[in-house]
Amino acid sequence: MNLFGVLDVSGSALTAERQRAEIVTSNLANAETTHTTEGGPYKRQMVVFETSKPSASSFARTFNGLRKEYARGVTVQNILADTSPPLQRFEPSHPDADKQGYVSYPAINPIEEMAELMEAARAYEMNVAAVQATKGMISASLDILR
Amino acid sequence: MSWMETPLLQRMERFLDMASLRQSLISSNIANVDTPGYRTRDIDFDKEMQKALAAPDATPHPVVREISGLIERPDHNNVSVDRETMLLAQTQLQFQTGVALLKQEFRRLVTAITEGKS
Repeated sequence: MNLFGVLDVSGSALTAERQRAEIVTSNLANAETTHTTEGGPYKRQMVVFETSKPSASSFARTFNGLRKEYARGVTVQNILADTSPPLQRFEPSHPDADKQGYVSYPAINPIEEMAELMEAARAYEMNVAAVQATKGMISASLDILR
Repeated sequence: MSWMETPLLQRMERFLDMASLRQSLISSNIANVDTPGYRTRDIDFDKEMQKALAAPDATPHPVVREISGLIERPDHNNVSVDRETMLLAQTQLQFQTGVALLKQEFRRLVTAITEGKS
């Protein structure tokens, strides 16, 4: 088992968690957006994670050639838009108000988004800890050469 | 077995192999902490080590199994953060112990070589 491949696994998780945090922050930023280029209010975005084999470089693949690969990374498989109906607020003077005077706001709960942002940040930190541990092991094995 | 390959060296090599395999599984578990449907995977370290020591010349084929008895979340993911972080620290220390012993063994060989010339 190649320890450098383990870094790829943790790296894939760092990428995925960062993307998740980006999506969550754009949800928070657009919590009050009533106007989008597609028309209608902003729709809450969600990431879907999927287990994957780490995409090792061709060198690593050749190097590991005959070895069975046990490690599994993670990728963002899809980014979905929330289909729940928008929130209606009575604001007749708003330029995006409909005939009855209601404005459609995105169905975003800032507390929910903050919780998910924290979850992503903690998961990111945990993967950083895994990277540190693997780095420690690699430098320990380099010590054999000294 | 060449003269360079002492039984201890061979064992330590297997031990380090097993520790790095475990490290890769723990890292996978941590990477997939938020993946729906992911199950915690691990090896039985003691059993695999005994297998490797019983047949030191055979290529090891460790059995990776899913760990049962962990609390499952509604999305069928059962990664326990506490378990993985504890094992992460443990495996790292095990690996470093193995490396230290390996270095010691090499130093012994070097001593045997250098003390021979006078």
